[in-house]
Amino acid sequence: MIEVEQVSKHFEQIEALHDVTMQVRKGSIYGLVGSNGAGKTTLLKILAGLYRQDSGAVRVDAEPIYENNEVKARLVFISDNLYWFLNFTVEDMANFYRSIYSRWDQERYSKLGAAFEIDPRCRLKTLSKGMQRQVAFWLGLSLTPDILILDEPLDGLDPVMRQKVKNLIVQDVAAREMTVLISSHNLRDLEGICDQIGILHHGQMLIQKDLDDLQAGLHKIQAAFSGGIPEALLQEEPVLSWGSRNGVLTFIARGSHEEIVRQMQAYGPALLDVLPLTLEEIFIYEMGENGYDIKSILY
Amino acid sequence: MFALDLRSRAPIYEQLVEKTRDLIINNVLKPDEQLPTVRDLASELTINPNTIQKAYRELERQGYIYSIPGRGNFVMPAPTENNAARLQALSKQLTRAAAEMHYLGMTITEIATLIEKTFSNDKGGQADDRG
Repeated sequence: MIEVEQVSKHFEQIEALHDVTMQVRKGSIYGLVGSNGAGKTTLLKILAGLYRQDSGAVRVDAEPIYENNEVKARLVFISDNLYWFLNFTVEDMANFYRSIYSRWDQERYSKLGAAFEIDPRCRLKTLSKGMQRQVAFWLGLSLTPDILILDEPLDGLDPVMRQKVKNLIVQDVAAREMTVLISSHNLRDLEGICDQIGILHHGQMLIQKDLDDLQAGLHKIQAAFSGGIPEALLQEEPVLSWGSRNGVLTFIARGSHEEIVRQMQAYGPALLDVLPLTLEEIFIYEMGENGYDIKSILY
Repeated sequence: MFALDLRSRAPIYEQLVEKTRDLIINNVLKPDEQLPTVRDLASELTINPNTIQKAYRELERQGYIYSIPGRGNFVMPAPTENNAARLQALSKQLTRAAAEMHYLGMTITEIATLIEKTFSNDKGGQADDRG
């Protein structure tokens, strides 16, 4: 269980995080999404114990993380900028980690080697960006962490490797109740594996919810009327976003599927479609509500 | 055993519930047969184990499966759920399809025949087919 309580962090004049509160359940895969510069990496680095927050508290199983070796031994952080000793081979790096981390699992290291198909005698500097990232996962998972923190983890991996890495993560979650925190821009990547989602914007946590609840609460509605759009419908609340084209009305509304269908039936639409929103659409609409609009970029 | 459509709008847990229910209704999964463990299915489909757990709980609530602590989840011999909601949804789909077929030129009799045929195929033909 990871708890973040009213954490704020400044870098000189810039406020990177403001009063952020979040909880990640044990055995959960938490997806952290947000606009560029929202503070995702700062938050992850605080959670990994690399930065110290200005105020507020960060606890992993009720223990503070900063300068706490016992908690850090159970935690792996894979940063978006990987750091290696470049003249080391994969094997050298593995030996280095083994000497530091008590939870290193040599058997798992050998087994995972088969999954990644990288020669452990290769020097790290000769490997491509994507292959270095694979090595990071290989070594990281060999440490059998209780908590895995990933910053843009799938960047630079090919589609097969993405799937393979996600699969390895899911297996560890299922087998050992590993807790995972992932930040990503690619919302489609998160949709399959996350169960909790947090949206960060300008250093503040906008929403934090179970993914299923988030999706269940919002629907995209398409409706057409043979006799024009009824006036009364346009007065309805709460509706997030409107658009109509060729007499077909499209809008986003809050509420359960049944509720919306019942409300809409009252207007006698000639055609009615009520669709769940994709995570990507949810992100765009929630951000739009908070003044981070696509329109302002496009026009 | 399943193929999920990750590009679909439907939440994954709903897809899981629906696919499993289809397999049970169509007798692909037999009564008292064990469903794959959460761990196996998570690794097979690369989706969150908690999502699968949630789908299984929902199937249990709807009366399609039962669970034995420590042993797993099994197919319930006969669904005990009140099917009203599901039937209502299916009726709506049927009405919609029928309306479109009629619009495209099929007669009402032809549509009715089509529906009757679905069931006569199922039972290998009716003994009495004078009508």
